[in-house]
Amino acid sequence: MTLAQALFMGLLQGSTELFPVSSLGHAVLIPSLLHWSFKQSDPSFVPFLVLLHLGTASALLFIYRGEWVAIIKAFFTAAVRGRIETPPERLAMLLMVGTIPGATLGVYFEHQLKSLFASPKAAAGFLVVNGFLMLGAEVLRRRAERRAVLAGKSREEQEQNFAVAEQISFRAAALVGACQALSLFPGISRSGITIGGGLLAGLRHQEAARLSFLLATPIIAGAGVIEIPQLFSAGIPVAEYVAAALLAGAAAYLSARFLLRYFRSGRLDPYGWYCVAAGVGSLALLTLRP
Amino acid sequence: MKGNSLAIGLVVLAIVFLILAGLYYEGVIQIAVSDPTAAHHPTHAILFTVLAIATLIAANFARSKRPT
Repeated sequence: MTLAQALFMGLLQGSTELFPVSSLGHAVLIPSLLHWSFKQSDPSFVPFLVLLHLGTASALLFIYRGEWVAIIKAFFTAAVRGRIETPPERLAMLLMVGTIPGATLGVYFEHQLKSLFASPKAAAGFLVVNGFLMLGAEVLRRRAERRAVLAGKSREEQEQNFAVAEQISFRAAALVGACQALSLFPGISRSGITIGGGLLAGLRHQEAARLSFLLATPIIAGAGVIEIPQLFSAGIPVAEYVAAALLAGAAAYLSARFLLRYFRSGRLDPYGWYCVAAGVGSLALLTLRP
Repeated sequence: MKGNSLAIGLVVLAIVFLILAGLYYEGVIQIAVSDPTAAHHPTHAILFTVLAIATLIAANFARSKRPT
């Protein structure tokens, strides 16, 4: 992998990790479409991915640094007391309940799923599925808005009628967290599926994105930290990889800032249609090329 | 009383998770691992340790509280 390719992959991973368009799907598809020769099954690629994930997790930790301090304090307070009394304590426990199913499914099925479906055509197909899942979530949200007689009101007013992250049920948090495991299929977006799940649980778009980013942080950071020993393997171009990780972190920071602002009134539809178009276009290119 | 029974059950489950964590770390269990030849499976061991801690927290939530 050249320096330019490493930097491009860092930029791609950092931005697509949080945008609901599947970082894994893009990481499988784009190098294949560009005819890049590096192999993602190569042992030196794992440390590269580790650093990119740590870059993305650092960006999320930085954005929510104050909230994470409050969540960690609240977690220990509620865990010792054996009772939830404040909204941060409820959020801390919701995050624990939401993280465990995704992490368990990830540990048990990541290797099998990635080795089965890590082909560009499969990634393109799942990208189309990802698009339809997000569009479906928005169809159901619009139905809920019609039931609540919110048609005709401004988007901000419509959003105010839905819940904040601290208010969802523990069952909903577990289901949204378990949905994260679907992102092991290349082309299915972790943030897309969790934001969609959050919408179905009755969250505002911005709160669904916030819950998605908070749920993603322990899993992305944990997956990265566990693989840190891989970074000390011989022959790893550390400087290039660190530069790519910094770029991934910067891209993730800007992406999260943009998305949190966008979801004040925006919907998942543009990302859904993008995934459908990119998936269909990629399938056509991959099928037609010699 | 019902809360205490549930709490005791959850503590037992936490101990089972801790034992599984140890067995995965030592490579005694090879169920659903990516590399069956590896001597240790730290990822699975960490997962079961986290599950044990979460189960202990759930046990603390389940036990009957004395009125204050």
